[in-house]
Amino acid sequence: MGVMRIGHIDIRVMDMAQAVRHYENVLGLRETHRDADGRVYLKCWDEWDMYSVILSPSDRAGMNHVAYKVEKDADLDDLATKIAAFGLEVETLPAGTLPACGRMLSFRLPSGHEMRLYAQKECVGTDVGCTNPDPWPDTLKGAGVHWLDHCLLMCEFDPANGVDTVASNTRFFIEVLDFFQTERVTVGPGGALQLASFLTRSSTPHDIAFVGAPTSGLHHLSFFLDSWHDILKAGDIMAKNKVRIDVAPTRHGITRGETIYFFDPSGNRNETFAGLGYVAHRDKPVITWTEENAGRSIFYHTGELVPSFVSVYT
Amino acid sequence: MNASRESSAVPDSGREAASELMSDVVSVRLRNTGEHYDCRRTETLLEGLARLGRKGIPVGCVNGGCGVCKVSICVGTVRMTGAMSRAHISEQEEAAGVVLACRAAPNECVELDVLGLMKKNVCRYWPGEP
Repeated sequence: MGVMRIGHIDIRVMDMAQAVRHYENVLGLRETHRDADGRVYLKCWDEWDMYSVILSPSDRAGMNHVAYKVEKDADLDDLATKIAAFGLEVETLPAGTLPACGRMLSFRLPSGHEMRLYAQKECVGTDVGCTNPDPWPDTLKGAGVHWLDHCLLMCEFDPANGVDTVASNTRFFIEVLDFFQTERVTVGPGGALQLASFLTRSSTPHDIAFVGAPTSGLHHLSFFLDSWHDILKAGDIMAKNKVRIDVAPTRHGITRGETIYFFDPSGNRNETFAGLGYVAHRDKPVITWTEENAGRSIFYHTGELVPSFVSVYT
Repeated sequence: MNASRESSAVPDSGREAASELMSDVVSVRLRNTGEHYDCRRTETLLEGLARLGRKGIPVGCVNGGCGVCKVSICVGTVRMTGAMSRAHISEQEEAAGVVLACRAAPNECVELDVLGLMKKNVCRYWPGEP
């Protein structure tokens, strides 16, 4: 079936001890591995593969790469051919390049972000197991996020000079990786340009999103919670831990998601995201948010864009 | 007896705290606009700046990563409270007194130039952005 879901994200952090404390105590992930280069690997309680977040020591913030998991090893061969045919340079990294992870395809999206695909990672099970499981474990910390849900990448966008990597990333994901678009924000004469594009391979409203910006970067990585009440409690936990909140609990028009945006100790934006929104289907008409409603598409209640939300990223 | 001793001790410690607080406050001047603000030595330049409470204060991630609060220290010295992203502050810039305001606490009265105010062009594609 090709790509299944987001598998992990490798982000740069400037203070490892603070970063681990944040992802463990505020979000509720658990460290599962630490390598010789000082990278720390963590997973959420409801995930079964060994890690979904890699914290890499660095002198700056941002994303090193994002990886999606495909169903079968042979999918990698098939996709490598298609990626190359699209015109991207694709490299195969041997098994063991990342701990407990099989071979990976590595390539740069039109926006410049490194993306990887892999088929195998060591399965360590969820924290409730899969035999007569309880609905949640007694060991939850912080917000107790279920899983890494999606990421939003800022993509270089300067249509006056012919640069629109939101469009080229969208085309790549649809034509090569067989994602489908669920929602978009259109701007410009006749709404001809997409400022934001939301795409999925599963049944959730988005597995990845692209938004136009002056330079490419990481806007946020997002973790799933069950309910609006969990979002409120996550906000309490952030306040207790003096976490810098960018956008207090509210709802998105796009995806209908319930949300909080906040920053990790290196300034990488995180989101806790709740609600199914709707079940995404391939034959569902794409939802369009027009230019004059762009604010409401992001922050449904106020309809006002928080300046830091569109201009601050790593 | 104990109670009265405690109650008489409270104003004393309160006075001490107040006087410590007074000496802890320094003045920061923004050369770009001529504005002044009070900033404690124990807080960052950005925390003090944010209290000006007007539009355009470059409050981003406040954790040294996003670079929107870039300033140049022209007069006075600061001390760093955490890491700053090299993507936004090069070694040469740091040596020349350029810092992220969210990571710098004043040692004394400071004058600074704001360099990294949220750039208008950053928001230019979003409808309704100033």
